[in-house]
Amino acid sequence: MANTMANTKAMRAAAQREAKKKRRISYSIIFILPAFIFYTAFVIYPTLNSVNLSFTSWDGVSDQVRYIGFDNFKEMLHSERVYNALKNTLILSVSLVVLENIVALLLAMLVDQVRWAKSLFRSVFYFPVLLSGIVMGFVWAIIFNFNFGVISQLLDRIGLSEWKIDWLGDPNYALLAIIITTVWKGSGYYMIIYLAGLQGIPPELNEAAAIDGANRAQRFRHITFPLLAGAMTVSVMLSMIGALKIFDQIAVMTDGGPGFATETLTYIVYKVGFGELRQGYGTALSLVLFVLILAISLIQVKLLRRREVQM
Amino acid sequence: MAMNKKTVALSVSSVMALSLVLSACGGNNNASNGGANASASSSSSSSAPASEAAVKKDVTFSVGYATGDPSTKQAMADAIAAFTKANPNIKIKDISEGGSMAYLDWLKTKEAVGEFPDLIEMRDTQLFAEAGKIAELPQEWLDLIADPPALNGKHYTAPIAGTVPQGIIYSKKAYEKAGVTAEPKTYDEFLAIQEKLKASGITPLTFGGKDIFHWGFWVNKFFMDDMFADDPHWNAKRTKGEVSFADEGPMRAMTDFTELFTKGYIDKGWASTADNQTASMLVTGKAAQLFSGPWMFAQISQADPNFEYSWYPVPDRQGRIVVNGLNNLQGWAISTDASKDADKQAAMTAFIKFFFSKDQYTKYLQAVNGIPTTKETIAYEASPQMKRVLEVMNDPNTIKSMQINAFWGEDQMPTQWRNWFYKLAQEWLVNGKFSAEYMKKADAEWDANVKANAAAK
Repeated sequence: MANTMANTKAMRAAAQREAKKKRRISYSIIFILPAFIFYTAFVIYPTLNSVNLSFTSWDGVSDQVRYIGFDNFKEMLHSERVYNALKNTLILSVSLVVLENIVALLLAMLVDQVRWAKSLFRSVFYFPVLLSGIVMGFVWAIIFNFNFGVISQLLDRIGLSEWKIDWLGDPNYALLAIIITTVWKGSGYYMIIYLAGLQGIPPELNEAAAIDGANRAQRFRHITFPLLAGAMTVSVMLSMIGALKIFDQIAVMTDGGPGFATETLTYIVYKVGFGELRQGYGTALSLVLFVLILAISLIQVKLLRRREVQM
Repeated sequence: MAMNKKTVALSVSSVMALSLVLSACGGNNNASNGGANASASSSSSSSAPASEAAVKKDVTFSVGYATGDPSTKQAMADAIAAFTKANPNIKIKDISEGGSMAYLDWLKTKEAVGEFPDLIEMRDTQLFAEAGKIAELPQEWLDLIADPPALNGKHYTAPIAGTVPQGIIYSKKAYEKAGVTAEPKTYDEFLAIQEKLKASGITPLTFGGKDIFHWGFWVNKFFMDDMFADDPHWNAKRTKGEVSFADEGPMRAMTDFTELFTKGYIDKGWASTADNQTASMLVTGKAAQLFSGPWMFAQISQADPNFEYSWYPVPDRQGRIVVNGLNNLQGWAISTDASKDADKQAAMTAFIKFFFSKDQYTKYLQAVNGIPTTKETIAYEASPQMKRVLEVMNDPNTIKSMQINAFWGEDQMPTQWRNWFYKLAQEWLVNGKFSAEYMKKADAEWDANVKANAAAK
């Protein structure tokens, strides 16, 4: 009798647990569903559709879509312009990842150690992040302008006109100008990530090292830097993805020029797809870009995770 | 200010007389000369009462036009504001945007995101007409225009203004200082002027190379001189593979173009100078000349009302004056979607009638220094510079041609080729090495574009 009651209680409890579990799943579905519908409609469907479009010769204007097999992919393999864009993308990505992270780390250490007006410094360094890429691009394009820009005007005033550079019109400097602009805009964001990492390092580790006679450089190398590995993984990955997708600055500052000198993969996708009426080809290029970002991100995460230190 | 007074003193009649000749419409003027109201009533047909009834409803339509030239942009915005003030039930959503993006790129982007304007300043008419994105114009619109252009017998556009030529806008002071006393009669004389200006210590030419459309001015000047003036069907021959960009004419055209840069006639900062900065370059004395059209006159006078300047066409190597002067397929167009909405169409028709009405159209043309395209006679006070433009256009010895992208039918250039070619020109200019190899690339790209466009159909 006692056994039967115990069994019944256990069964009831199990049924209640089961019902609770079902309710939890139902609630989860209800909460997830709206986002899932939007995500499917605006991200998953267009992404899958772009795979479909990449096998067509669609011009983006007419209603007719013709399938041309792998022609778009074959063409890009033989395109000098695509290789040039790939080269520019890699140069920009590597430069931006290195510079943005170095500058961000330096800013974070500065803000972390400053004794007064910490919030002010943090806000000042973070401010460029809040500007839209387009606005910032216009501002820097004016600064770099050969005839009316601040740099040129300054050189004119001090009699060094021959030192003037057409930053955005000279292929030797145009990428550099974009790198400077992007580092200025992006470093503040990564500074916040590094700052959070720095503030998570227990001060006693540094104090103990200092008592043991370690100088600043040694403390940075053996304590700060290893313990920032987590922040670095995030920052490096985000800055790499951002660099691979760079668009605004190029659109506003150089339009991919002079010539094709600053065209990147993202920009060529846009130019080919919209400007040159080859939506099919542009979509095929965007798929290649997607695969490239995915591969680089996965490799990066794998490599950077190895050196992370667990506290 | 003095310049403006002088302007007023100049003939109204010359523009009035010339405008008829220039818009190639002379005789066919059955419309009333009685101004805006007369114009509207003269074109009223059986559909007019329906339209008038419809426009009393609250209607909204969108409009898109090229904003590269500040004077044109302002004149368009003024026309829209004046119309909506007079017609409070009609709202016009002006979705035109500035920036350095080419107008075709912008329009194509709008089409892709489902924001294609209802009323559009159409430039690549054949492309959008063949894609079914623009509709044939209602008869009421065509009745306003003297010589509406047709593509395969169908009218898709109402020309906003007649084609105006590019030429040299020069600082009189800089010419005086360099000892230049007369306009050039040959291209060699033109080059001699550049040498004199350079020797006098001023940069001879400013160039708005940051804006891709600005490249079309000089590139097309040489293309027209060396290709289209003698062979208006050159594009069709290129498509058939009968001619090449590496042939003598195009090679000479681009060699002459390149020399303007390599000989130091064009300002070093060409790549980062925007079209709307060229007026400042001129009036501040940073450069002596600008190769552009009469739409710049207002901008220059606004930048410095005391700046003294003049305009002349640049002769070709044979001493001929070849200008961009034939009317083309560009103009106001209606999107196919909007044409299916009777209320929108009626509202747009009301706007178009207002736009081309005597008072409003006169204001517009005066602001942009344009040439009228309406049946109705339009007269406005021409500045001395504009008077010179009209003289050139009215000279029987002037050879009128078209820019490479303005041809249609079999002579149509693959739409995407133009901006690509301008980019290619930038590439050889920054590399400092122009050669036939680049022109062979131009052939290859043209062929690839023709093939791609055919594949898309």
